Amino acid sequence: MIRKISIITLAAVAFASCTKDFEAINTNPNVPVSVPNDYLLAASQVQLAGSHNPDPKSWRNNIQYAACIMQQMASTDLSAYGGSFYTSTQNGFSAYFEDAYANSIKNEVNLIGLTKEAKDVNINSMARILKVMDMAVMTDMYGDVPYKEAGKGYTDGNFNPAYDTQQSIYTDMLTELEQAGAALSATAYIPTASDYIYSGDIAKWKRAANTLMLRLAMRLQKVDATMAQAWATKALAGGIITSSAENIAIRFEGVAQISSNPNSWTLGPGSRNIAAVNGVQWGKTFIDMMKTRNDPRLPLVAALKNGDATVANQVGLPNGITTNALVTLTPSNLDLYSRPSARMYANNNPWIYMTYAEARLLQAEAIERGWATGTAATVFADGQAAALNQVYGTVKPSVTEIATYAAANAYPVAGTLADKMNAIHTELYLLHAVTLNGVEAWSDWRRTGYPVITPINYVGNETNGTVPRRLKYSPGEFGVNPNVNAAISRQGADLFTTRIWWDKQ
Amino acid sequence: MKKLIFLAFLGLVFLNTAFAQAQKVSGVVMGDDGLPLIGATVYNKASIKTAAVTDTKGAFSINVPTNAILVVSYIGYKTQEFQLKGESSGVKITLASGNASLSEVVVTALGIKKEKKSLGYAVTEVKGGELTEARSVNIANGLEGKVAGLNISPPATGANGSTRITIRGSGSISQDNQPLIVVDGVPISNDATKLGPIVSWTKGDAQGYDKGDGISQLNPDDIESISVLKGATAAALYGSRASNGAILITSKSAKNGQGIGVELGLNAAMENLLIPNLGYQTEYGHGTGGVKPTTVAQAKAGRFSWGGKYDGTDAMFYDGELRPYVIQDNNYANFYKTGSSITSNVAVTGSTESTRYRLSYSNLNYDGILPTNTTNRNNFSLNLTTNQGKKLTVAVNAKYIAERTHNRPRVLGEGGSTTFAILALPQDIPLSLLREKKYTAAGYENPWNDNLFTINPYYGVEDFKEDDHKNSIIGSIEPKYQFTSWLYAKARFGLNYFNYAQSEIIPYGTSYQLRGGLTQHNRTYNEQNTEFTLGANKNITNDLNFNAIAGANFMKMAVDGNDFVANNTFNIPFFYNVSNIDPVNRNYSTSRYDKRINSVFGTVELSYKSYLYLNGAVRNDWFSTLATGKNSILYPSVGASFVVSEAFKLPTVFNYLKVRGAWAQAGGDTEPYSLALNYNLNGANLGAPIGQINNTTIPNKNLQPLTSTTSEIGVETRMFNDRFNFDFTVYDRQTKNDIVAATVSLGSGYTSALYNVGQISNKGIELLIGGTPIKAGAFNWNTSFNFAYNKSEVVSLYNNLTTLRVDQSRYGTSFVDQIVGKPFGQITGFDYKRDAAGNIVYSAGGIPQKGNLITYGSGVSPYTLGFTNTFTYKRISLSTLIDAKYGGYIYSGSKAFQYRFGLAPETLAGRDGGIIGVGVNEQGTPNTVRATAQDYWGNVHANIATVSVFSSDFIKLRQIILNYQLPTSLLNKISVKSATIGLVARNVAILMKKTGSLDPESNYNSSNAQGLEYGSAPTTRNIGLNLNIKF
Repeated sequence: MIRKISIITLAAVAFASCTKDFEAINTNPNVPVSVPNDYLLAASQVQLAGSHNPDPKSWRNNIQYAACIMQQMASTDLSAYGGSFYTSTQNGFSAYFEDAYANSIKNEVNLIGLTKEAKDVNINSMARILKVMDMAVMTDMYGDVPYKEAGKGYTDGNFNPAYDTQQSIYTDMLTELEQAGAALSATAYIPTASDYIYSGDIAKWKRAANTLMLRLAMRLQKVDATMAQAWATKALAGGIITSSAENIAIRFEGVAQISSNPNSWTLGPGSRNIAAVNGVQWGKTFIDMMKTRNDPRLPLVAALKNGDATVANQVGLPNGITTNALVTLTPSNLDLYSRPSARMYANNNPWIYMTYAEARLLQAEAIERGWATGTAATVFADGQAAALNQVYGTVKPSVTEIATYAAANAYPVAGTLADKMNAIHTELYLLHAVTLNGVEAWSDWRRTGYPVITPINYVGNETNGTVPRRLKYSPGEFGVNPNVNAAISRQGADLFTTRIWWDKQ
Repeated sequence: MKKLIFLAFLGLVFLNTAFAQAQKVSGVVMGDDGLPLIGATVYNKASIKTAAVTDTKGAFSINVPTNAILVVSYIGYKTQEFQLKGESSGVKITLASGNASLSEVVVTALGIKKEKKSLGYAVTEVKGGELTEARSVNIANGLEGKVAGLNISPPATGANGSTRITIRGSGSISQDNQPLIVVDGVPISNDATKLGPIVSWTKGDAQGYDKGDGISQLNPDDIESISVLKGATAAALYGSRASNGAILITSKSAKNGQGIGVELGLNAAMENLLIPNLGYQTEYGHGTGGVKPTTVAQAKAGRFSWGGKYDGTDAMFYDGELRPYVIQDNNYANFYKTGSSITSNVAVTGSTESTRYRLSYSNLNYDGILPTNTTNRNNFSLNLTTNQGKKLTVAVNAKYIAERTHNRPRVLGEGGSTTFAILALPQDIPLSLLREKKYTAAGYENPWNDNLFTINPYYGVEDFKEDDHKNSIIGSIEPKYQFTSWLYAKARFGLNYFNYAQSEIIPYGTSYQLRGGLTQHNRTYNEQNTEFTLGANKNITNDLNFNAIAGANFMKMAVDGNDFVANNTFNIPFFYNVSNIDPVNRNYSTSRYDKRINSVFGTVELSYKSYLYLNGAVRNDWFSTLATGKNSILYPSVGASFVVSEAFKLPTVFNYLKVRGAWAQAGGDTEPYSLALNYNLNGANLGAPIGQINNTTIPNKNLQPLTSTTSEIGVETRMFNDRFNFDFTVYDRQTKNDIVAATVSLGSGYTSALYNVGQISNKGIELLIGGTPIKAGAFNWNTSFNFAYNKSEVVSLYNNLTTLRVDQSRYGTSFVDQIVGKPFGQITGFDYKRDAAGNIVYSAGGIPQKGNLITYGSGVSPYTLGFTNTFTYKRISLSTLIDAKYGGYIYSGSKAFQYRFGLAPETLAGRDGGIIGVGVNEQGTPNTVRATAQDYWGNVHANIATVSVFSSDFIKLRQIILNYQLPTSLLNKISVKSATIGLVARNVAILMKKTGSLDPESNYNSSNAQGLEYGSAPTTRNIGLNLNIKF
């Protein structure tokens, strides 16, 4: 009896130590261990735009801060729209940092790592270009940020990446665009359906890489004209996108949140509905500028709460105005201020990163600076015409309206360089507003100072009444990633007023 | 190698000796109450090898010489020698019940009852009666202040929420630190995360419902005792799962020979706000910029109370109507109502010759202080033991619990949180207005402010809907076969199963989700434990007893989840059904969670002359959650107890004196699927599917089990005829290779990383002093004081890392960090910017600025104490419990909110004319710039935590119980055996606190992120009436 029991017990012990099936049990049945590269490419694009979560990139970074700082938009909501008051809001200034690394950049870095083989060169190159698009916004917002070591928590076990200097980031991003553009190959595997930008048109991708290179090159004009010239020349020589049909934009079908333009999701009834609930209005600076210039886009992009798009009735909300100050204004009812019209936020609007119009206007600047050949006025006119057609929806300004506008706002061929820069960058300012790209408007303005923006001086602002020059780092980095301290000691205090590298005074 | 040692050990267990032969003598062993004693040991004094055990009728049969001396022993009774005088049958031996302290029996690991004096470690037992008298909706809260070293922290999430329980500090930096809860041998899930997302801001995503836990469901009427095994030393046999100690809950069972009995219990209690006034400022009304609102936009501006001074003239309100600008009398207290709970309980007990059973049913109807919040709970419990023949005993325990809750408090301030909305309400907005103007003309929410997420509190409780139900089974079948008088085999098949279903409706027309939303979470939890044990208990000589157990356990845990989430989605207004949801918004997902632990274990105990006890145990666990080759760990433990008062002749003042010591190791694993990178599929765009990395925590395939080593020594004594007792323990607990999900830089692409980090240390003392200072005739005063101090320290972290982030507060200014060299769970936050001399540095605009990240102290109180006094006079008894915690800190997000929005009285200074902050400007000269109070506090809120961090010290009058036992002479006439009537008050008063109008016990969840508060549900004072009748 005792022996039997002993045997049974020993058998139980032997059985308990047998753990062969444990590996299978501990394999997550809920999610796959791998997915096709095409799926990952798709994710990299929608996450670059931010449709996985429209709040951080679209609402907080692009609208609450960038567009409001640029006075393209304005809000009386002090608790959320810090850009309108030069104040800090919860999750606001740090939104791009906190969202992009943990989503889009992580997936871009991972996809680049998974596609090292020659057969995958096209997806690899596209991912590299998408990462540059993401990181360019990141560094333009904050200055020195994690770059080389970013998104490598799993692959390299790097939990606290170093902050790279903006100079080194720009140098690498430009090289990346050059190399990735060159590597794109018509003979390797080409993703089509999962390429929401060009559906697998390799030639267009190559031109897009050059076009992006032009934008980044021009950004360096103030801090390192030699470098700017070299890259701008290279970009234009390589060939930029040839029409608005080649705009660098992510197309959306507009069904669910993930397949909708995140700006539309924010402005429209899909989520925040801020256009309808008086969350945000068009800024007075923007509306006044459009009115002064008789811009034919105005009735297409702006409307009152009741949908009234009559030009005469459009009123922009001044920035830095709280509800108290609103009482003293005419009108004092927010319903009677302009806000983006419904066509601005159709869920299937493409999410625009860079347009042909912008490329041409930047090209005009490059010519004017002697970095490229051609006639600046001609290129400007082409860019201006493209910009006027760059409104959402099927209705565009008429040919006559465009001609009238072009005549009234012609390129100041005989003017000073300042006059010319003002002309070019005012067009860009309006263009970025109607493509809901406050982020690019702010960066372009910081480099050039055009158009002239009169800062607000809301009591309690953090910038001493000056236009912010950067956003502050994520509070979550402090006490977690010691590298943020090195970045601050290199770059200057972590304030809205500290200038980043390319924004040399 | 470890396995070899283990097998050698098992061999020891089966040491065997042969039997001697003699004549047969039979008889029966009874207690002094005349009832038979089952399982009493009877042996021949001359030859310990001849022994017998009494059966269910107390009968024994033993082969001994005709005039042998029998030694009869039974736990709880004095051992007796009986001289045979030639009888061969009909021997009657009566045992006298033993000395109280010597015979005290407690439930230990695996449910084994042991004499307390034999234990080398500290165990505290709480009787069920203490829980039924001071009834709490969650019985865990009823343990508060009762056990030295047991730290109970109920979060401020309402009566139907969970409770954080820790014993001897927290051994792990980010894993579950709560003890294993075992009900009648069956481990139950007490993990709130198994019910779906917990209350947390961890990933910037607010989750507002505390869905309760496992222990909260139990019915105190069914509980015989709760045994608190403090740490790995006591719980070594449970291995990894009890590395944080274990709480063993034993159900009531029928006693032998009772016949049929019926017990009835009725409890009715009322509850109201413990802190009825928020202490807000009473001078300025809603509005911003010091201006009395004259437009609707101003009236709704930013939830601010930065308006004009109350002047009684008309001001604009959110509905567009003018009303007098005056403060309302305590909106807060008026919004909440008086809560109530009614519990009724009936139990039937019975015993026949072979079978004993207890069957009970209880019903709880709880009506919370938050309007519309209710809980209904039905508990069925069966406890049955049956003897089939002389050798086979089968015990069956089964509990079925059905719990329904409606409108749990939604805390933490995110959309739809009523507890937050009422805290955020400016004090001049009349409740009657919110009541009447809840809807717009279209029937939509009529928001009182321009923050879409801060709702009308009536809309929150009446239009938002939350419903959940949980059906649980806790059951076990335990056959036990007694081979011989000293050898048995036992199996236990234990099951904990529950189905939890929650649904939540965001109404159509809600400002932040115009088309409304529907969420459904379903969880099916299933844990099975199959355990085999083989036990031996044998006297080797007259003085030396050998007791051993060997066994194996197979644990299978699986959780199936179904989640349905649809936001902003209904097509037809106000019709809430899945069919009405836009198909593209129907997000449905399933999840499966699987885990196994295989274990073998063994223990040997040697006792000498009932004063020296030596104990050794080993257990090996194999985890499915860790990689092969890294998933096996062996834990040894040893313990010794020496009863000095039995071994030596001590001065007569000593009734009892014992010293003890123990050392044990335990380990632990982690959650499943933590080793590999995964992807998930996230819909499609333009016909192309989207796939992305699933992990937000960096997986780590090199994870190893963590190890926790505990050693403890203790002394206990009873003196002066048991009028004084004293129990003192010192312990040391070291956790190495802790598995931590630590916050990492978002720049890494992830929010946290999982890895084995260095070491965390907990050292502490536990003290229990009690006695009977007065015993005069019918009057009795019993007193008991318990005290515990736990000194924790994060000794080292990963590589050179000095800080790990556990969680962050709502406004991102305060955090819970683990810092090398500091105690567990430091509250850190941004201080004012200061110069070298410590002066606050103001900006050019006269605004205080964000300074360094500083450390305030631990979010967990290291000092806990409880003080109970019971006065008895004849049939009346009065009992009070005072408990206290010291040395912890809490960051109040609600307070930060009150600063920013002008609700706090501190914000009154400088309302007219502004504030000149005391300190210096950037140039180092005294600040002379005047800032408006609104800007000043707005910046303080956004940048500085210091003003919102408080000491969480408290002293509370936890309970008062007044009981009256009705005279039995009276009762007997109506066939009632006994009846007790009691008046009970719980959470009577906070005698000391440093948190203003906030309850210091206001954590927002029961996780490791202790010391963060936001949008709390209020704590309550309960007063109730108990009635217990036994037939």
